[in-house]
Amino acid sequence: MAQIAFRNVTKRYGRTLAVDDATFTVEDNEFFCFFGPPLSGKSTILRLILGLETPDEGEILIDGKPVNAVSPAARNVAMVFQNLALFPHMTARENVAFPLVERKMPQADIDRRVAQVSEKLHIGHILHKPPAQLSGGERQRVAIARALVRDPAAYLMDDPISALDARLREETRVELKRIQRELGKTLIYVTHDQEEAMSVADRMAILEKGRIRQVGAPVEIYDRPASIYVASLLGSPAMNIVAGRRGAAGIEAAAGAIRLAASAVPEGTIEIGVRPEDLKVAEPEAGEAGATVVEVEPLGGYTVVTLDAGATRLRALMRGQPDIRPQSRVALRCDPARLHFFGQGGGVLVR
Amino acid sequence: MSAAAAKLARQDGMTIAGAKREPTQAETEASRLGLRLTLPAQILVLFIALFPLLMQLYISLTDWSPLSGVGWWRAGELWNSFANYTDLVSDKRFWGAIWRTAIVMAVCVPAEFLLGLALATLFADNFPGKRVFYSILLMPMMVVPAVAGYMFFMLFQSGGPVNDILSVFVGGPVTIAWLSDPTLALAAVMIADIWQWTPLMFLILLAGLVGVPEDQMKAATLLGANSWQRFTTIVLPKMKTIIIIALAIRVIENFKIFDTLYIMTGGGPGVATETISVYIYKVTTQDLIWGYVAAIALAILIVLSIAAVFAMKRMAAAREA
Amino acid sequence: MSAIHLRNLVKRFGDFTALQPMDLDIADGEFMALLGPSGCGKSTTMNMIAGMEEPSEGRILFGERDMAGVPMGGRGVGFVFQNYAIFTHMTVRQNLSYGLRMTGKPAAEIERRVGSIAELLQLSPMLDRKADRLSVNILQRVAIGRSAIMEPAIFLLDEPLSNVDAAFRAVMRTELKQLQREFRQTMVYVTHDQLEAMTMADRIAVMDHGVLQQVGTPLEVYNHPANVFVARFIGAPGMNLLPGRLADSDRGAVVDLGPLGASARLPDQLAAAARASSGELLYGFRPEETTIVKDAPGLALAVTFVERIGARTIVHFDAGSESVKAVFDNDVDLTIGASAIVSPNADSVRLFDAATGAAIGRA
Repeated sequence: MAQIAFRNVTKRYGRTLAVDDATFTVEDNEFFCFFGPPLSGKSTILRLILGLETPDEGEILIDGKPVNAVSPAARNVAMVFQNLALFPHMTARENVAFPLVERKMPQADIDRRVAQVSEKLHIGHILHKPPAQLSGGERQRVAIARALVRDPAAYLMDDPISALDARLREETRVELKRIQRELGKTLIYVTHDQEEAMSVADRMAILEKGRIRQVGAPVEIYDRPASIYVASLLGSPAMNIVAGRRGAAGIEAAAGAIRLAASAVPEGTIEIGVRPEDLKVAEPEAGEAGATVVEVEPLGGYTVVTLDAGATRLRALMRGQPDIRPQSRVALRCDPARLHFFGQGGGVLVR
Repeated sequence: MSAAAAKLARQDGMTIAGAKREPTQAETEASRLGLRLTLPAQILVLFIALFPLLMQLYISLTDWSPLSGVGWWRAGELWNSFANYTDLVSDKRFWGAIWRTAIVMAVCVPAEFLLGLALATLFADNFPGKRVFYSILLMPMMVVPAVAGYMFFMLFQSGGPVNDILSVFVGGPVTIAWLSDPTLALAAVMIADIWQWTPLMFLILLAGLVGVPEDQMKAATLLGANSWQRFTTIVLPKMKTIIIIALAIRVIENFKIFDTLYIMTGGGPGVATETISVYIYKVTTQDLIWGYVAAIALAILIVLSIAAVFAMKRMAAAREA
Repeated sequence: MSAIHLRNLVKRFGDFTALQPMDLDIADGEFMALLGPSGCGKSTTMNMIAGMEEPSEGRILFGERDMAGVPMGGRGVGFVFQNYAIFTHMTVRQNLSYGLRMTGKPAAEIERRVGSIAELLQLSPMLDRKADRLSVNILQRVAIGRSAIMEPAIFLLDEPLSNVDAAFRAVMRTELKQLQREFRQTMVYVTHDQLEAMTMADRIAVMDHGVLQQVGTPLEVYNHPANVFVARFIGAPGMNLLPGRLADSDRGAVVDLGPLGASARLPDQLAAAARASSGELLYGFRPEETTIVKDAPGLALAVTFVERIGARTIVHFDAGSESVKAVFDNDVDLTIGASAIVSPNADSVRLFDAATGAAIGRA
């Protein structure tokens, strides 16, 4: 059982602010994900939780107790490394048992614990094999088993499946989520893959240069991003951000291809965000500005259409395999209720 | 500046570049404790390193000799201030030894380097029997220098194998007196040094060579570079640091050339192969003028130190560029 | 001519056959993706085209010209390595000009060509920067520029985006495709990411275990996978495949899916083709081609997992030993434990022979 909280934690490396005044709480049994571009402070946060780094300012609490001065070994949090770091010369069983053998636990207890963990992770049948003979997913589970065998209050994972093939990643992330659910333990997870983050996380924190920009359930963050930064980080293709200009008939964007009633747009709007899936392509009516199709990328179940409206490049995500040809003229439609309005500094404006 | 900004600026001062920052009280205390704990060890190290040097300096300013009848600590009674150093400047035998040492170095180090590089290039590829050749090639390096000296002493006898082999080519008996001819003796000594130390060069350069990224070599090939161009534009630049290190090791070692040479020629005939180490050895053991020896040793140390500092600065500059 | 023809190409490493006999024709100016999981033989194929490895059997032709015995330096192919293989001890300019310098081009020409390629790839401001301190995104452009400056008729790229972070990958995909249009060379692109292959390539060659599985346009391999491997590998998630056998019902020919019940009626043509095959079938449908129905025939399944990923919601259903995935818009209202009737859209259903894995009803 573990709740992990940061209170105004700051960590510097020389002149660089690796973590900047971070405050958040990871609830017990939560699958919590840190997401951000490289060097945004994700891994430093993990190292702070583990106790491998000491905060320069602020307080780290585990179950409400300050742990700034508690050694990594005494914090009872376990780590699954990015490269899994399994010992190649040991069998899966020896790997899993390793942390207990290190602690000189009696052999009978070790056997019991290894058996318990192996059952939970469905690796009982592969315990006799060395890591080299295991598949990527199996190795993953063995590494998790090794982290869990000493019964930590929480466990951390730093981009654990980034080395796998795309297809295997899709399967493994579902598996990870299932394991976390069944184990019922707090899992703190770092990834640079947005799909992975949105798929597995109960809640996630979006980081930018050491600052936490938004915390919430993936759905919340995706549907109601707090800023342009957050909005562009989630979603593939990324959200279209277009400048809104006040015209005769209301608000105009993308060289007149998008027109909105002034009443639908909050005061102070500078830029308008449209998710590619919310941008609908239609037959242009007479005299309508519209946009030119630049590129049509079929993904099979979806199609990404790249459009140029004046100097503005837009992307639309359409279902299926619509018959749209490059160079054709189309009209753009969007539901004002599904738009995002950003003001000065890129912050979201609420209607 | 607000208090917060001032605080930030102070923290910012802690940069990798080493800009100054006020240490906190805890840090000051910690560093003081550290100093107290390590002080005895530091004094001991300092003593071990400095004592022989200071002793040398002291003796070099006197006429002391083990035959003086007084202990070295009383060498001050034979004080002659800088006389040993001024003698050194006009000592022809000393300058001759320096000159010969320089010649040996100028021939041996480049020869070892080029041979070592050629062998390393050869060994970077695979060929049958590579492991066996590799072991054989490294053997000379393992031979005790004194033994190597004895081996070459035998080889270069006028009735020795070198002349025997030569006679096969010439078609008649060859009786070159290798070690008694001033020029040939120096050549023989250099051959022995090259034989013994090319393997070390080879070993270091091979390590550098296998560290050249294979993909970059392939990329160069695909861009149309031939093997010589790949060597000059990719391999050599990538190996620059390791080449400098290898050369530096051999230059320093070569300056001290002694054991093999001494057994082969004893520095002779006459002084024909007398290098600086042989000269110092002779002055020490035969002439027993230790004050003078100390002066020579210190002079060389100073010159070498200046050269080393200079070389290191060049190396650092080369790495920056 | 810069068309590439692979004729009966085989590669063996000792006892291991990395590439089974392979025939492939890549047209002049075509963007061909070699797609498959690691160890499928795609990189081996590419290395043989580049001349880094010798074929064990078979021939490689560039246009009419047989490449046997032509060393890699003489093939005139541009190659972008997975790790870019940038000459780190040189500046960006020296990297770009390397090939021209080595082939002895006049200084004035080198300068002109470096200038224009740098302009094109937006490298002009950093020409004199040392290459060892550049970001991955720039390194990649240097790697492309260094090869492109030689104006090769054939360009080979070995997973060039695998080191780039996810957000930037989308940008680079578009950039690469535009570059290929600009240069108009024949491009062979090795990747394990079906999304990259789908979005960039004119045609995709899907490979697995050293065997070429299918060659076709992105939509051909997506809509009409030649076998079970391609069906699973293309698409995110891949095609759902449920074991069953052909049965007749009052509705017409259907697939009996055992405990999951019967499928909807098969189109006549498909049913006829299925009748001619061995019997054990795999019933396939795309996750994106499913509808949740209320009072209509379909598969009654329980939800095991719901992933909402941006614009899509992937719902995982329990289907016995298999799991069925369906992709919906975000307004779908299903939670873990709920059950629903899932109906594959009729014209998206594909059948495969369970024994051979081959598609039924279309070549």
